[in-house]
Amino acid sequence: MFELSTNVASPQQLRRGDFSAYDALYLGEFSCLSYPNNFCAHPEFLADAVAQVHEMGKKAYLRLFAVPSNHDLPTVRNVIKTALGLPFDGFEVHNLGLLQMLKEMGNTKPIHLGVFGNLYTDATARVVKDYGVTRVYPNPELSLDEAIYIRDNTPIDVLIPVHGKIPLVVAETCFIHENSGGLPGEDCKFKCSQEHWLTRASGDWSLKDTGCMTLSGADLCMLEHVDKLAAAKLNAFYVQSHGESPDYIATVGRIYRDAFSRAFAGVAEGDVGPQLEQLAGLAKMGLCNGYYFGDAGRRYVGRA
Amino acid sequence: MVMMMAPGGTRDMCRLVLDEGADAVYVGVVGWSRRGAEHELSDDDIRHVIDDASARGREVRIVVNTLPSSTEIPMFVERIAQYAGWGAKGFMISDVGCMRLVRDLLPEVAVHTSVGCGVTNFEDVRFLRDNGATHVVLPYRMTVKEIAEIKQKTGVGIEVFLFKTPSGGKICPGKCMMSSYFSYRRWLDETGKDHFYGSASRGGDCLRVCQTEWDFGPDDSFIRHGMTIKTNPALWLDELPAYLAAGVDCLKVPGRDRSDLLVRDIVRFYRRVLDVIQESDRPDLSGFRDELLVFHQRWKVERGIRDNRLIGEAEREARRVERAQVSAKNFEVVI
Repeated sequence: MFELSTNVASPQQLRRGDFSAYDALYLGEFSCLSYPNNFCAHPEFLADAVAQVHEMGKKAYLRLFAVPSNHDLPTVRNVIKTALGLPFDGFEVHNLGLLQMLKEMGNTKPIHLGVFGNLYTDATARVVKDYGVTRVYPNPELSLDEAIYIRDNTPIDVLIPVHGKIPLVVAETCFIHENSGGLPGEDCKFKCSQEHWLTRASGDWSLKDTGCMTLSGADLCMLEHVDKLAAAKLNAFYVQSHGESPDYIATVGRIYRDAFSRAFAGVAEGDVGPQLEQLAGLAKMGLCNGYYFGDAGRRYVGRA
Repeated sequence: MVMMMAPGGTRDMCRLVLDEGADAVYVGVVGWSRRGAEHELSDDDIRHVIDDASARGREVRIVVNTLPSSTEIPMFVERIAQYAGWGAKGFMISDVGCMRLVRDLLPEVAVHTSVGCGVTNFEDVRFLRDNGATHVVLPYRMTVKEIAEIKQKTGVGIEVFLFKTPSGGKICPGKCMMSSYFSYRRWLDETGKDHFYGSASRGGDCLRVCQTEWDFGPDDSFIRHGMTIKTNPALWLDELPAYLAAGVDCLKVPGRDRSDLLVRDIVRFYRRVLDVIQESDRPDLSGFRDELLVFHQRWKVERGIRDNRLIGEAEREARRVERAQVSAKNFEVVI
């Protein structure tokens, strides 16, 4: 069948959220080690978290920090060391150096290459496969056809994001902290708990900023293409929900769970107008189709 | 001995930088480097530059640092073999899979990772080394201490830009897709080569949308107005002896998309600086500072012109697509 997954940054979010529509959870916020109680930086939370996710009957993947500098490596190593002794179903890695580290630490769990692993080609997929990678999240700039080509020619599983804001930039410093007068090393006071937006003064361009990561302003929405995804025998789908409310996560999950369940049962998708309207209502800056159809990421192509 | 690599955005620029003492010149292949076609060279030009450099005992690095489509890889390999056959001594590559293919095919050539690899730590460098890189370019923000640690732990050739970031802002080469989010177009040329307008990673110019004016803040209460998203790096000088002592092997002069004359003057400047450093245990670079400030100004002026041009292109492309969408919708209504 298929797997629908999303992300959870901390124990609080795990407790508060309704993840009933999902089959798997990626634990941790990969862009910022300072994010409060981030699973990526707190090995002490991992045992309870993995147990809790398994009790819900879901898979638990641990995300590793995407942009570790030399001085972050001991923290990441410590997290990996703890996780290797726990029943995680896999790791998600964005930084290629960590593939090396996992290999040398004797990891045998599956590894997923994350969005900032910058995977564009089947040639690179073959390289990371040699390091234990079993699933890749192709760079968002790739079209659907390119992602399918990589799956078939490597061969390797591909994760297809179907909804949520598209990660566009990750950086080593926090843009929110810097621009609100914060100094390096100072407590950031979790200012990213409020939504921050970049809006072009003279146009309709918008981006969402979570501090260390910039996301698309519009929400990627593939609801109108669920049939096509199922027909292409893609089976790992992802809802990007960092910075979104529990209601967003639950609602989006339910809509896609229903849509994929129908598609994989061979039931035609039919009119998704009401669901699309619901999703549009949750998207402050509208919907887009990303780069899946060879267009600029912010465009919405729709079924036509 | 450190190698100074200079940009060759035009055939004239290649000649000028070699005249001024660059040890190597790096040139982009049309459609295969992270710059627009006007700053890349045709195969004829590349062959000529290789011949010229070889005659002077200098080297050429071929920039093929796009992140290609999977289906382009056979063409990529064919091109690499051709340039190596012409005498190119090394290549600048972003895609790890392509890097490994080049290592297997041509183990004698130098493989420089591109800034697009987005290195952040020594484990990254080890990974790249183990997959074919002979030289790894480090990002602008790394300190001398970090560079020394990487050199010591990996032994790989270290390359740095003669360019650094004075302050914060998002600096994330290789991990930024802002340009293509707003303006992007893909097409195949007659040879089957994919082109990706608006994507720096895939060979189109980065349209510098980060350099337009943005308002920033929580929800609707903006805390900053009219700001740019990324900080621009600047040419640097005083830390150069420390960088060399830390084990830097290659210094990369930026500027493939700058004017021939500005790049010529910068190369002449750094040649003199490097000669002073290499002739003395305690080099005094104070006499170069005023000159550097003039370069900062000249650079800023040219960058401003380029950024405005590219942002204008991004806007025009966005409007073109919007118009096409409106026309398509009107057509549907008529039908």
